[in-house]
Amino acid sequence: MIFHVDSASWIIAPVILPLIAGLLCFLFNRKIFIIALAAALANFLVVCFLIWQLLNFGPMRSYIGGWQPPLGITLRTDGPALLMLLMTAITGLGVTLYARGYFSHRISDPVRAFRHQRQQRYFWPLWMLLLTGLNGLFLSGDIFNLYVTLELIGISAASLAALSGKPASQRASFRYLLISLLGSLTYLLGIVFLYRTCGVLDLTLLRNLAGNESGMGAALALLSVGLLLKTALVPLHFWLPPAHANALAPVSVILSALVVKASFYLLFRFWFELFAPIVTMPALNFMGTLGAIAILWGAIQAMRQHRLKLMVAYSTVSQLGYLFVAFPLSRITEGAEVWSIVIFMALTHACAKSAMFMAAGSVYLHLGHDRIKDLGGVRASLPVTVFAYGIAGVSLMGLPPSGAFIAKWMLLSSSFASSQWWWVLVIMTGSLLAMIYVFRVMSQFFVIPEGDVLDTPEPLSPLLEWPALILALISLFLGLFAPWPLHILSQGSTGLALIFPGALP
Amino acid sequence: MSTEKKIKGQTRNRHRRFDAYQLLFLCLVFCLIALLGTILCTIPENFPGLADTVASLQEQSGVESPVTAVLLNFRGYDTLLEVMVLLLAVIGVWSLTKAPVSNLKTDISPVQMGVVRLLTPVLCLVAAYLVWQGSHLAGGAFQGGAILGAAGVLLLVSELDWLRAVPAFVLRIGLILGPLVFVGTALCCLFFTGELLAYPKGTAGWLILLIETVCALSIGLTLALLFGGGRPEDDVPD
Repeated sequence: MIFHVDSASWIIAPVILPLIAGLLCFLFNRKIFIIALAAALANFLVVCFLIWQLLNFGPMRSYIGGWQPPLGITLRTDGPALLMLLMTAITGLGVTLYARGYFSHRISDPVRAFRHQRQQRYFWPLWMLLLTGLNGLFLSGDIFNLYVTLELIGISAASLAALSGKPASQRASFRYLLISLLGSLTYLLGIVFLYRTCGVLDLTLLRNLAGNESGMGAALALLSVGLLLKTALVPLHFWLPPAHANALAPVSVILSALVVKASFYLLFRFWFELFAPIVTMPALNFMGTLGAIAILWGAIQAMRQHRLKLMVAYSTVSQLGYLFVAFPLSRITEGAEVWSIVIFMALTHACAKSAMFMAAGSVYLHLGHDRIKDLGGVRASLPVTVFAYGIAGVSLMGLPPSGAFIAKWMLLSSSFASSQWWWVLVIMTGSLLAMIYVFRVMSQFFVIPEGDVLDTPEPLSPLLEWPALILALISLFLGLFAPWPLHILSQGSTGLALIFPGALP
Repeated sequence: MSTEKKIKGQTRNRHRRFDAYQLLFLCLVFCLIALLGTILCTIPENFPGLADTVASLQEQSGVESPVTAVLLNFRGYDTLLEVMVLLLAVIGVWSLTKAPVSNLKTDISPVQMGVVRLLTPVLCLVAAYLVWQGSHLAGGAFQGGAILGAAGVLLLVSELDWLRAVPAFVLRIGLILGPLVFVGTALCCLFFTGELLAYPKGTAGWLILLIETVCALSIGLTLALLFGGGRPEDDVPD
């Protein structure tokens, strides 16, 4: 029937499941967590199944409504899309469990229990609809449909960021909403140019039509600026640290680990598939330079922060830079290798950064503040959380065997191979600075406050500590499983060999 | 006094500096628009777009209006997600604040009451007609929903007592009714024909009308509640 193991109909499940869960979460008042957890679990299982399907039957396409392109909308699976989906599913499952622990802890505190109940009430539907948007974006094969998913992501992310209700977070999230809308509108203008030039919206057809025209150039510029605004690449990063640092802990995890990756993923796909024929070396170098500035600037800012969550947020700015340094190195490496650099970086960062934000959130719950100089004694009371923070830090620095190590290794070897040695300096300095800002906090954790007798407050719920540790361990051991993601990438990326005709050495 | 003057002077200075920035910004935006306009005008239109394709498949879509055919048949998935965006807007607003309640108890003037009594049924009728008309002319769920939303706004500004008594659960059911029926129809199509939103032969017209009607109700409620400016009193304790 319809749901054969080799049927393409399964593709829509990661979109429809969280969508229905979001509607139900909004409708009901009780047992919402069960609905959300069921959806997150089902989403994870379906994504695993889709990967198995890809390995056995190759990439799939589903024509919604039975209308073939250019008229209808296509959903498709391939290696990169499925790995991003897997990243979202794993991190999403972790966030769902962590959020449960977080809200239970907050509500058990009689002070402002009602406010926390309200936050929990609205967190679940917003998170489920955000998940819908993310999954829809990774699967979509239609440039206008991508705009709609970007809208879904932008509006739900801004609402989530405002959930804490503090004036600082409301101001930051309002700015986030405006920036996100500006990005979406710029993207839409880019679509206008693209449609006017090519007359179709389907990504596969657009790739075949892409020619060297001024309209395509304008479209590329507009689409890129819109997506860069959403990805928060330096110098467009100004909205990110306050929005991410002032949000509730589970929301910070979602924003930092997943939402910025979505727009980056699109940017990467556009530059290396759709617009590959008209992308020039100076343009790639420009993106790489911005990435290099982001690495250094984000790391320096992270070192200067006095609050843990702001430090972690600036670290996101820095880590996003590595993704862009891969751009200028693409011309000498094979297409699949660029993909693997970016995917490894993104996967490691998603797991490590969510672990780090979870740890920061648990520390905040435990101490009631997150001033870095007063973090002493946390190691004794929250050993699992501190362990998770340390492992996540190792992954951010890019030490082996983390996935970031593999990605940085490939970056270094390709910059040596192409004798663009300056990228090497940037990557090394960035790692060194990451080490400094990670250890600056780590050393505070181990300080035993003088004179104080360590009071032992009740331990945090395991839901607040273990998801962070598990995600941190995944990011650490990703490097050991490196052949497996590479295998998936090589499966789906049938078109990648065509990316750089004539540009390969 | 002197501090006040100082502050005034500072703000004036800031204004002046700001003006220079604004002027520069305006110039840049103008240049950008000019550049983009030039590019847009010089693009040779090699492709007729998708209008011809839509026209050739119009008969299979079950409706006569090309706009409705694109919105609810050819690209129904987009519309489904757009409806979710509207719902998200309400969830976002409700998560932020409670609906403001005016404690001023004044009687509604009879003139206003008369207008409400006269206009509300007419607006509902126009909305229903627009939804119906969507199958062959301009119109449809969003237009009908907008008119319904206007009716809701009219009721809200009149501050009728029974509006406050509507339980939040009923409002929530109304809000998700449209998206839920839309998704439900899409899934039914999946089970009967094997593709999401692929209407079985001969049923497309009726299914589209069903989706449009419930979506118009939900969209109208969404717009009215957005005007309401927050969650109802009894939604969650605060």
